Amino acid sequence: MIKSYKLRRHIANAIIYVLLAILGLLWISPFVYLLMHSFRLESMTTVPYLIPHQWGFDNYIALFQNSGSSAINFPRWFLNTLVVAIFSCIISTISVLAVAYTFSRLRFGARKKLMNVAMILGMFPGFMTMIAIYYLLKAMGLNQNLIALVICYSSGAGMGFQISKGFFDTIPRALDEAATIDGATKNQIFWRIILPMSKPIVVYTVLTSFIGPWCDFILAKIIMGDARDLYTVAIGLQSMVSPEFINQYYKQFLAGSVLVAVPITTLFLIMQRYYVEGVTAGGVKG
Amino acid sequence: MKKILAILLAGMMTATAFAGCGGGGSSSQASESKSGDSSAASSDAGATDEMTKDANTVDPSLFGDENNITLKVWAPDKAVSLVKEQVEAFKKAYPDKTFTKIEVIAQGEGDAGTQLLNDASVAADVFSFASDQLNKLVDAKVISEVAFAKTVTDMNSPETITAGTLNGKLYAYPETNDNGYYLVYDKTVVPEDKTAKLEDILAACKAAGKKFIFNCGDGFYACTFAFTAGVKIDGLEEDGVTQKFTQYDEAEAVKTLQAFSKLMKEYKGTFTSLDVAQIASGFSTGTLGAGVDGSWNTTADQDALKDKFGAAKLPTINVDGTDKQMISMFGYKYIGVNASSKFPASAQILAYYLAGETCQEQRAEKLGWGPSNKAVQEKPVVKDSPVLQAIAQQAQNACPQVNIAPTFWSPMGNLGNKLIADETKADDAAYFTKLLKDTIANVRDEA
Repeated sequence: MIKSYKLRRHIANAIIYVLLAILGLLWISPFVYLLMHSFRLESMTTVPYLIPHQWGFDNYIALFQNSGSSAINFPRWFLNTLVVAIFSCIISTISVLAVAYTFSRLRFGARKKLMNVAMILGMFPGFMTMIAIYYLLKAMGLNQNLIALVICYSSGAGMGFQISKGFFDTIPRALDEAATIDGATKNQIFWRIILPMSKPIVVYTVLTSFIGPWCDFILAKIIMGDARDLYTVAIGLQSMVSPEFINQYYKQFLAGSVLVAVPITTLFLIMQRYYVEGVTAGGVKG
Repeated sequence: MKKILAILLAGMMTATAFAGCGGGGSSSQASESKSGDSSAASSDAGATDEMTKDANTVDPSLFGDENNITLKVWAPDKAVSLVKEQVEAFKKAYPDKTFTKIEVIAQGEGDAGTQLLNDASVAADVFSFASDQLNKLVDAKVISEVAFAKTVTDMNSPETITAGTLNGKLYAYPETNDNGYYLVYDKTVVPEDKTAKLEDILAACKAAGKKFIFNCGDGFYACTFAFTAGVKIDGLEEDGVTQKFTQYDEAEAVKTLQAFSKLMKEYKGTFTSLDVAQIASGFSTGTLGAGVDGSWNTTADQDALKDKFGAAKLPTINVDGTDKQMISMFGYKYIGVNASSKFPASAQILAYYLAGETCQEQRAEKLGWGPSNKAVQEKPVVKDSPVLQAIAQQAQNACPQVNIAPTFWSPMGNLGNKLIADETKADDAAYFTKLLKDTIANVRDEA
């Protein structure tokens, strides 16, 4: 038994730091691999060593020059995803905040019940309804259409109001009352008073709804089917490592995966200041 | 308030229910009526067969009253530009018909069946697919019968016809006779006259310090061990899901498995079990001497090895003094016609054209695909190609990839993994007897 408290603390800290360092290394190694090998020139698919022998930008260049091929069209996929992400981001941000504001500030009969319904519906996994959604979209003539993706990603977004509502709940109602006395309508209060004070939660909502379309695979795949020109990056990249293409496109797949991270990371860097604030503030009072 | 809400909700629910029925109902109706058509077509099959003009085209009257034809074709990416040319030639072959639009869309053959089953009404009218999907396509009634069954049967090699036939009806136009795996090697590592025996190949690789890749963990390749051991498959039982095995000599089978395992142990470090995608990569980095690779990777392997590229059928393995030929799994590719096509007759005629002699020869020349057409098989383009010859020879020593139970693959992969596993003792016959029995029981889902 070690008597000295200082020594004990140092040993405990050392163990914890070593453990954390190992975990950190494990966690970051796939990303390091991805980044390094996206610059690798030699070989076609994987190689049994970590550091590439020859480096260059060829994979990135090929990714954008290959747009002539009928099946692999990364620039187009990137643009599709960006457009879908921007539109569903705008729509779902507005709808999430509006729903959250409604539940936080307005009092009406079915308020509690609707909140419960949203909670319960949210517990079902999304892919459960996917086939039904597909046939509904087809009945409306929207299958194999980017608009369908925007609709799917943004229409259910309002149900994810909980965190934003938690944030709005922390804003004193006295502000609303003061504005009401000054003659502001509920709508004006939302846009002019509450929203400017809720930057962190707006940023949080924007980020989460922007990331969605970049990661979704199953729904996009079902809706798009064989319309390769309308693929999003997630389906497109997956198709690059299918047996048919892997020998030719593996390195480009790595390069593409790095590029996908660019818009998300950029947005994160710009808005990260608010991000943590938003998550914690919203969690204070749920 | 509550009442209004209730009525609104109920209204919405019925509306969505109707919308769902509308979509689903119409498509199933369409497929029913279309399958009715195709059975009618097959009942007077003799008549339509007599109207085929040659190995590519048919009498234009077979189009019936279809005009302003719109069709969609699925072909694998590598073939898209060639198929587009072939479609143009097809249009010229029928000058009296108006073709509004024939699109050719890239769609891998492995995934075509799934895409078709997802929603046949938006799928291609004419599509390429691999033979293992035929069962489920027929079960789901999304594929129509071949309208010119007799002519197609006469033109193509018998094994492709057998594999394309279910319940006595031919369901797809044979496109290739090459969907399998064979031996690829670096000629500077393995001399050309040493490729007949697995022992020689491994010795040559080891001497050069290079690897030999065989994907033991994937049932598609690993079933070679069972087949070579004499444990072959023979379609499905009457229940339609249980795999049927042929009679086999257990002692002999166990000896063969032991021989494989012994070789893997003896050449540990040389005999490696990796994904086939590693083969082209290994050749390009110069770490690989030989490997068992799929025919679809041929171009990649050739690019990696250039003129050092060698191809041969799978080697033999020495079991108790006799050299046994390794038996592989072998599939075919077909062109199918969507049962819910809006232009069923035109789709059949296009499929007939694309699977016809001229198109098969063009694909053999430009893409290196092994033809199923008997006439093309005799042409120099096939006879002079070492790859196509190797594949054709392997096809003689193979089990066709048809009627495979879904439970087949993973127990076979497990068998392969156990053979190469470090803790397996190659001389423990009892262990291999049990392994074999377990594998078969697992495939038959009796465990």
